[in-house]
Amino acid sequence: MNETAQQELRDEEVVALCQQGQSEVFEVLVRKYMEKAFRIAFDFTHDTEEAKDLSQEAFLRAFSRIKQFDGRSSFYTWFYRLVVNICLDHTRRKGRVIWERLEKETEGSTERVELADGSSLPDEEAIAGEAKRKADLTLEAMPNKQRTAFLLRNHQGLSIPDIAKVMKTTEGTVRVYLHRAVAALRQSLVEFV
Amino acid sequence: MTERGDTLRTACKDFEEDLVLYYYGDGSAAERSRVEGHLQGCSSCQEFLDDLRKLLPKMAKPSELPPTFWDNYYNEMVQKLAVYEERHAWWKSWFAPMRGWMLPAFGTAAVAALAIGLVIGRGHWHYPFSQTQERIPQEILADTNQLEFFESMDLLENLSSLETQDGSKAQPGNSQHG
Repeated sequence: MNETAQQELRDEEVVALCQQGQSEVFEVLVRKYMEKAFRIAFDFTHDTEEAKDLSQEAFLRAFSRIKQFDGRSSFYTWFYRLVVNICLDHTRRKGRVIWERLEKETEGSTERVELADGSSLPDEEAIAGEAKRKADLTLEAMPNKQRTAFLLRNHQGLSIPDIAKVMKTTEGTVRVYLHRAVAALRQSLVEFV
Repeated sequence: MTERGDTLRTACKDFEEDLVLYYYGDGSAAERSRVEGHLQGCSSCQEFLDDLRKLLPKMAKPSELPPTFWDNYYNEMVQKLAVYEERHAWWKSWFAPMRGWMLPAFGTAAVAALAIGLVIGRGHWHYPFSQTQERIPQEILADTNQLEFFESMDLLENLSSLETQDGSKAQPGNSQHG
């Protein structure tokens, strides 16, 4: 099968081929989901290298368990769950480190802005940077489930039923998580609106 | 982006969750029309929704990465997959001919062979802890009445050996006297 034909395959077809032993076809799924997987890992880690490692680990895990995928959910829901779980495990292990790094970044933010070209950046850009850092801190301080629900909806654009599948919970619970996360963010970012 | 200060007006409690869903385009048609109806007469909820519209899209804006990053990412991932496959190939090759029903069949055959081996080899195997018991046959140990018989046999054996000893002692004496 040539590359163009492979790219046109639906996820279920790719998975079926992998399950039959054509493991090289898995690269189609890598190509298709690498950016999304990386983005969500980056939302959790705020670090390019870590995000790359974690998202690639998710692909390896998906590859090694592809025969266990039973098709009850879509591949991307199943894969998102792997990515999210790997990121949450990582956050639990390194939560403290991430928190300290974000605090350091916030402390050093003014200095970095001034060092850029020897003069201050425009006010709007500086405020946007500050808002971004505050949003990151607020997200980090959130309970994992609220943060996950928010990131999947706001950053990844997953629907509430899909988030419920990824998080293995009910749609009602996802709505509550999402509402709490959004309310907390609005509360902390009101000065930048 | 302008600073508004910390004058935060909260949305109506009954509508706040629905407003979040409304912003994302979620919720049923009935829920959406209920929210729209409420928004017309509630400035606090209108402000809440406006805040979400200003804040949330900016948060989701991804940082741009150059195409080379994605090329490297993909190539690295393909390499990792190849290494993974290579590492797991040795044991897969063992079981490769055994697809579907063959694996359980192989397991059953292995268990059966083990059972046959145990049955056939039972009489030939010796265990160190049972050596003392094997010296005395079980059928003899079971019948305690026979112990008296063996004790008397021991006595007879002792008598005959005593007679032999006496005989051997008497012979040199006889030759001296003779």
